[in-house]
Amino acid sequence: MAKTYDYLFKLLLIGDSGVGKTCVLFRFSEDAFNTTFISTIGIDFKIRTIELDGKKIKLQIWDTAGQERFRTITTAYYRGAMGIMLVYDVTNDKSFENIKNWIRNIEENASADVEKMLLGNKCELTDKRQVTKERGEQLAVEYGIKFMETSAKSSINVEEAFYTLARDIKAKMEKKLEASNPPKGGGHQLKASEPQRKPPSWLARCTIL
Amino acid sequence: MSTDIIELKKDTEGKNKDKIYCTFCPSKMLNAGAARLINMDFALPYIHSKAEDKANQSETISAYWLIEDMYTFENIGVSHTVGNIKYLACADCERGPVGWHDLSTKKSYIASCRVKYE
Repeated sequence: MAKTYDYLFKLLLIGDSGVGKTCVLFRFSEDAFNTTFISTIGIDFKIRTIELDGKKIKLQIWDTAGQERFRTITTAYYRGAMGIMLVYDVTNDKSFENIKNWIRNIEENASADVEKMLLGNKCELTDKRQVTKERGEQLAVEYGIKFMETSAKSSINVEEAFYTLARDIKAKMEKKLEASNPPKGGGHQLKASEPQRKPPSWLARCTIL
Repeated sequence: MSTDIIELKKDTEGKNKDKIYCTFCPSKMLNAGAARLINMDFALPYIHSKAEDKANQSETISAYWLIEDMYTFENIGVSHTVGNIKYLACADCERGPVGWHDLSTKKSYIASCRVKYE
């Protein structure tokens, strides 16, 4: 059967326990339904499909599933990862401070060109906030990565975050491809099959290429 | 769902005519034409386990949608490994199992009676 997608990206969710990494994987329900057969075995990974610039992209998203409690995420887990969501909880200062340790862990174990993004989750809990948005932004600037505050519970920015990370990985891949086979004749090539441009949507706001 | 009704869900090539969704939430699992209906007996554990009834925790289902490549799924949750398989669940509400993935053949199967058609 013909391949039904253009790209496949392996993404990881990393951060302290309790920051809501698992919730970032849901869309239509705020909590996992926890009396089912599946909840006792646990989810290993999820496949999600998104579309970017007319390309169909499959995201394979892995959760650390409690491994992070021992602060020993193994090299095996990082293997083949193209993108990493670093997640902290805005109501938990320690989870924010630990982001630096997670980045060090990534540098030691993951491929050097893995695309990273910082997410401050639970931003709906304004009364309990311990980490300001500015501190999140500052840390992201320090590491040269993108940043968003999300609320998995209120569905704020979660999809946008995945689109942003996927878009950056795609751009990086296309750049690499171009570098390895430069277009002949120099000029811009028009493809007959170029998909029609869609009107700008709410997603266009997070396009930073 | 009886076998007769499920027969109506396939097209002339035996593929799913409609898109396939989770029965509990709006999550889309498969596009139309992505899977092929097959007859195969496989005992799938109930979604809600009945702890008091240990002997009867799964039901034999005989109509499954066969998915050759796992990345054909639009959205799917994949469980940790149990024996030689992984169970499949909704990627959004995590209710399941709605099917299973065979690690040796890399094929996936969705129980025709545990999903919705639209």
